[in-house]
Amino acid sequence: MEIKKTAMDGTLESSDIQITVSKGTDGVQIDLTSDVQERFGAQIKQTIAAVVAAFDVDNVNVKAVDQGALDCVIKARTITALQRALGTSAEPAWEVL
Amino acid sequence: MDAEIREMNLHNPDEFEQWRSFLSGLGIANFTADEVDPLDGTIGLFEGDRLMGTGSYSENVLKYIGVCHKTSENGAYFNKIVSTLLTQLGQQGIFHVFVFTKPQYSDSFQHVGFQEIVHSESAAFLETGPTSITDYLAQIPKFAGESAAIVMNANPFTLGHRYLVEAAAQQSAHVYVFVVSTDKSLFNSQERFEMVQAGTADLKNVDVVSGSDYLVSYATFPAYFLKSDKSRVRYQTTIDALIFKERIAPALNITTRYLGTEPHSETTNVYNEVLESVLPPTVRVKIIPRKETAGKIISARDVRLAIKDNRLESLDTLVPKTTATFITEHRAELQERIRKGMKIDGN
Repeated sequence: MEIKKTAMDGTLESSDIQITVSKGTDGVQIDLTSDVQERFGAQIKQTIAAVVAAFDVDNVNVKAVDQGALDCVIKARTITALQRALGTSAEPAWEVL
Repeated sequence: MDAEIREMNLHNPDEFEQWRSFLSGLGIANFTADEVDPLDGTIGLFEGDRLMGTGSYSENVLKYIGVCHKTSENGAYFNKIVSTLLTQLGQQGIFHVFVFTKPQYSDSFQHVGFQEIVHSESAAFLETGPTSITDYLAQIPKFAGESAAIVMNANPFTLGHRYLVEAAAQQSAHVYVFVVSTDKSLFNSQERFEMVQAGTADLKNVDVVSGSDYLVSYATFPAYFLKSDKSRVRYQTTIDALIFKERIAPALNITTRYLGTEPHSETTNVYNEVLESVLPPTVRVKIIPRKETAGKIISARDVRLAIKDNRLESLDTLVPKTTATFITEHRAELQERIRKGMKIDGN
């Protein structure tokens, strides 16, 4: 699937993560800002990459600003941002959930 | 106590006073009523009726962010304010967002995903969003070897601009002409870009590029840093000059910047002075005297006045044919913009 527009979900508040997805040209690029980057950076990126893969998106830039979000939050925010960007918010993505 | 975000209406005198006294308590003072007018939105974070944090935006620039830390945990209110503003802008389709702040607050913004573009002793300039200055620089055509550069608003492109570009093109292997993007001029950014392209098409070693958001508009800079209008221009142009020197010039191998003299504009004179003091030795500054016609310097302002007064026959002595054609074809629309209140007597 292809990104139609830039979209965002999540906040910068504690325990949350703000995800912005936009059209990319060079595969899946994930730019992460996080206080726990050293310990959990790889895991956070992996969670995001798994959601992107489940949506079958080839080229996308993801900007993630993490404030200590749990895995389930990261997943939920990424799904919502992606669905907005793909213009598919009206259709639940059961296979991803 | 739970804190709640509410919209603030600064045109309501009571709310304005609450907002103003809150910010001045944080040392953000000296701003004037005309700085409040261009704000597109302001939010407040309240504990009951007590204002604990606030933030505003004007187009894609965050402004007047102030937070009281007395009752909140480390940064929680700050994050909530910035987050709410980014969400509101995102809902309007604006994701690429800038902030000017004092250097000591740069880290707080970096903590929530902003990247610093440059900082001076008195101010830092940061951005966040899906694109950055690195992406902007990556899409500009590269030239092998040294280049010169000119930055212009070209409102519209005159024979004076043309003279400056020609001089640079003769003295340099390659010239970038950056056209300022900010849309606060009679001719909009796309029109100005096209006029510069058309007016320099015959000069083979000239590339016209958009200044995008990185050749900053004077209008976006918050004056609360400053004491007077003159120092506002000085601070603003220092940031502008630093972006050019530290980010743009190294990426494009620009070693010379050409400027035109400006006998009639105080703002441009201050700008030229700042560029001369900031850019060397990284970037040489060459100042070219303004072109005259019949003993009078050519000014874009005179062109705009001619459009207003419908004296289009006088254009031939002021602008190249390409610009004259554009103006003739769009006369009605341009005159309509002036009638609707577009200011034309600035620089």
